[in-house]
Amino acid sequence: MPRTPTDDSLGWPWRYPEPDARQARDAARAPTPYDETFDASGRLRADWEPLVTQLRTLGLDELRRRWDEARRLLYEHGVSYDAGGGESLARTWNLSPIPVVFGPPTWEPLAAGLAQRARLLDRLLADLYGPQRLIAEGLLPAELVYGHPGFLRPCAGIVPPLGQFLPLYAADVIRGPDGRFAVLTDRPQAPSGVGYALENRIVLSRSLPEAFRDCGVQRLAGFFRTTRDLLRQLAPRGRDNPLIVLLTPGPYSATYFEQAFLAQYLALTLVRGEDLVVRDARVYLKTLAGLKKVDVILRRVNDDFCDPLELRPDSFLGVAGLVESVRAGEVAVVNPLGSGVLQTGAMSPFLPAICRRLLGEDLTLPTVPTYWCGDPRSRSYVESALGELVIKPAFPSGPVEPVFGRELSHDALADLRDRIRKEPSRYVAQEHIDVSVVPSLAGLAGDELAARPVWMRTYAVVAHDGYQVMPGALSRVGGPGARGESKDTWVLASGPVQPLSLLPPPSTPVELSHDESDLPSRIADSLFWLGRYVERAEGTARLVRTIAVRLSDQNGLSDPDLATDLDPLLSMLEAQTYVRRRLDFARDVPGSSSEWPRAAQRGLFGAVFDTAPTGTLRATLAETHRIARTLRDWLSLDAWRAVAHLDQDLRRPIAPSDPSALRALVDLLNRTVTLLAALEGLIAESMTHDQAWRFLDIGRRLERASHVVGLLRSSLASASPREGPVLEALLDIAASATTYRRRYLATLQVCPVVDLLLCDETNPRSALFQLEALSAHMTHLPRSPNTPRTPQQKLVLSVLTELRLADVADLCSVHADAQGTVHAERKRRPLVALLDRVGAQLPALSNSLSAAYFNHAVFTT
Amino acid sequence: MKLRVVHKTTYHYAEAVPSSHHEAHLAPRDGRGQTCLAHAVRISPRPNTTRERRDYFDNRTLYFGIHESHRSLEVVAESDILVHDREHSMLLDKTSWETARDVVTLGRQPESLAAYEFVFGSPYVSADHAELLEFARPSFSAGRPLLDAVADLTERIFGGLTYDPDATETSTPLTDVIQERRGVCQDFAHFQIGCLRSMGLPARYVSGYLSTLPPPGKTRLVGCDASHAWISTYLPSVGWVDFDPVNNMVPGERHVTVAYGRDYGDVTPVRGVIVGGGRHGVRVSVDVAPIAMD
Repeated sequence: MPRTPTDDSLGWPWRYPEPDARQARDAARAPTPYDETFDASGRLRADWEPLVTQLRTLGLDELRRRWDEARRLLYEHGVSYDAGGGESLARTWNLSPIPVVFGPPTWEPLAAGLAQRARLLDRLLADLYGPQRLIAEGLLPAELVYGHPGFLRPCAGIVPPLGQFLPLYAADVIRGPDGRFAVLTDRPQAPSGVGYALENRIVLSRSLPEAFRDCGVQRLAGFFRTTRDLLRQLAPRGRDNPLIVLLTPGPYSATYFEQAFLAQYLALTLVRGEDLVVRDARVYLKTLAGLKKVDVILRRVNDDFCDPLELRPDSFLGVAGLVESVRAGEVAVVNPLGSGVLQTGAMSPFLPAICRRLLGEDLTLPTVPTYWCGDPRSRSYVESALGELVIKPAFPSGPVEPVFGRELSHDALADLRDRIRKEPSRYVAQEHIDVSVVPSLAGLAGDELAARPVWMRTYAVVAHDGYQVMPGALSRVGGPGARGESKDTWVLASGPVQPLSLLPPPSTPVELSHDESDLPSRIADSLFWLGRYVERAEGTARLVRTIAVRLSDQNGLSDPDLATDLDPLLSMLEAQTYVRRRLDFARDVPGSSSEWPRAAQRGLFGAVFDTAPTGTLRATLAETHRIARTLRDWLSLDAWRAVAHLDQDLRRPIAPSDPSALRALVDLLNRTVTLLAALEGLIAESMTHDQAWRFLDIGRRLERASHVVGLLRSSLASASPREGPVLEALLDIAASATTYRRRYLATLQVCPVVDLLLCDETNPRSALFQLEALSAHMTHLPRSPNTPRTPQQKLVLSVLTELRLADVADLCSVHADAQGTVHAERKRRPLVALLDRVGAQLPALSNSLSAAYFNHAVFTT
Repeated sequence: MKLRVVHKTTYHYAEAVPSSHHEAHLAPRDGRGQTCLAHAVRISPRPNTTRERRDYFDNRTLYFGIHESHRSLEVVAESDILVHDREHSMLLDKTSWETARDVVTLGRQPESLAAYEFVFGSPYVSADHAELLEFARPSFSAGRPLLDAVADLTERIFGGLTYDPDATETSTPLTDVIQERRGVCQDFAHFQIGCLRSMGLPARYVSGYLSTLPPPGKTRLVGCDASHAWISTYLPSVGWVDFDPVNNMVPGERHVTVAYGRDYGDVTPVRGVIVGGGRHGVRVSVDVAPIAMD
């Protein structure tokens, strides 16, 4: 799976170039970075005094102990950030125990500057998607708009709700050696990271409660409350109780954890594009209970990926028809579609003049000096100073890895210069700034303090009276061994702090809720299939194990006898895994060659380890893993771990030629079966038995019923003289051998076996048992009030009745046909007929459930 | 001349489509030598939603959504257009291509700014194909009048590319066309647009119809005309001038303009996003016939 092609990354790892010889040489003339904590004479700055006093009281050992505790908290919360390289590298969040502190005199001008920039960019967007006066007046090169792939022409002329083009704003901010703040990058698209800032705050305020209290730290909750209020106000036509969703690119997104966390904190429904559908220019969420109108979409999908009809046709992350719905004023998207056009460093040289034109004010918070190479004068400067600058693409289409000129060799510099000369307008260059430093725990054991460079991502949200800047930030430190360490950022209050939290205080009783009707259809769908795949994997593993045991322990059987015993089992395996040709070969050869057991063995290993066809054990477990990944929020950590292990195990195939291969295979399958049982237990015991669980169990029951019907169909269709081994295997595979032995001792006969596996409602492995369970589930599924019986209920009922009324003795008889002749192959016609009828109804039930609850194929309101 | 165009697009899906969204550019524009007298679109099955708007380039754009299960979709657009023979005296204009380029690049007049948009790369035609620059350059000797140079380029594309209706799917990447030097009218147009943009000149994609007149003595064949595409470039003080590289000509009264944009993607006649449906086939037929003047 490729990385999600959206700019949802935090723009990390933020790197601080490693010192090298040249740098050391330059160090003499390089300016000293601004020290946030100590002034030039080495005295502690006043803002830091309360914190440092507290830290000194704690002592380094205690601080480290609390640091460990904080890390455990983060691990338990499952906070992760995928810095690239996919799922397996998703790392636990690395939080520093020492926050960054700003007092009001430092913070307030910065916040005012950020608010002004947000106002400016909002008006700039209004112009670009409106009259485009700035271009006509020569204040902005047309090329930066017309040549920007992020300028979304279908969005031109659309005025977003309340006229807000930029409801949310984020900026990466640094402080230079002169002690002045500057913006490194504006983040107007779908700002990420604010959830991490919140998580940092929650964890750090718990590990340093004394310091947090004494310092008078401003709370973040006010910012989030404004955000939540804003989202509500943006709902079209002022709907009272609007449905607000957070649109995520999905679990492959680098910041998925944060999105899920934020959705929970702001009480939004976390959805993916496929959860939504546009009908009559309105956006709906597909839920179990039907379609629900969506009023506001907080998006974490880049705007160009949001609608495959009018924007990028190759996107699978969006909703077809969304732009038309926005145009019709039926839904608010935050930030509005089109804001990505500001995602370029190339506009920043023009911002001061634009600010005077649009706001009639001077820009107070500057950008780090940035040069757009499309401007000839800027380009010649960039070419001459390339070795000192930081080079970035002018129109980034994804996460950006800046190039530090000072890290390049002579040849690499010349090469870069050539590329810039060829297409100058595609590059911007930024002055390299020695950013301010803060104290951080360093050293291998984390037992010394060191000054580390710090970058901050800051956030603003539009409120009634202008932009409200979050009093805090997501700070990151660089330098040797920092490993993407992040810091909480404390902004001190000038007066008493109003305690405020959006998290309900532990003492207030929460509103009791058992309602799950809003369960997104996709979740129900995934749980259904998870249930099916886990069960399918178990069935296949048990079947293969039985065959492997027979093959390895031949009990002195001759090959032809073994072949006769195994033939029906191989048929079952074939039917289940679709591994046809290899097994055919194994079954053709018996008797004719001593190669037979080895051929059978190869076929067997193929059915386990091959990645294709879709029915092999490995493919089944890989699919289980894939589905489980889309359900991370729904599975406990232990369940998730079991799924990951199951998948991992099968990725190391055992070579069939190995002399102990069969033994090893049986060991592996024993482990697989145990893990699968553990997984089922973990899921069943840790989920509340609500609709979500119900769909998981429906999948499981349906699969188990199909499995047992399939087993009987492929093994007992016709009577043969040597049925003992097959019956034994059947009981084995269906995990019913113990029950059988207890009831009938060692006498193996077809009738009691069929009875036990098909019609015994007390055997949790029998088909009837599954149907009884399904029948109970069906009565609890949502339906319209005037439907006495849903199509799914009818289907289950017809199978259930058939199984309940079945006469097992009659079923198992080998029937003569109408002419009274017993056929040579001795078919069990009544049994086959019953199994075929049931075997056809079960997939029909699966399809019918999909249509009614997952796809919402027919639009009814 | 008065023409009636019947443009029929039919999709067949292997499996049922429960829901689909479409966008269509089928209504002929007014102006520049033509007037759209009547236009109607029939869609079957009947859409649950239809909405008409003007897109960024002021083309009439139709959105429609169907939310009932269907196995086929038919879109029939019927338009009556009055086409005047265009004024060709402008073709004598001697403005050099460099001047034309600079007026567009440096000008701030609304019209030249509007033209400037078409200098930049677009999803189907980027502005920086080295091969296209190389191909275009011989036509653009220093000081040569723009129209002269573009006519020469048109002729060289006409001679250098093979018209091959089987050569491409509807969405052939331009790099393939450059490689293979063959394609349909859309590929010719993209090729020429790429050439012009590589020279820093504005070029837009024109989607429309061509009435193919029958040879003398034979009756007109019905349905053999396809939807057509050509290009347009901008001449300051005159305006947009069309060239048809497939037929090596300056479009006249046999060309009907439907829409224009930066490339095919902006003005695709009918496109859609469907749920399910499996494999699908699409058939397009266009019938252009002269009708009696009132």
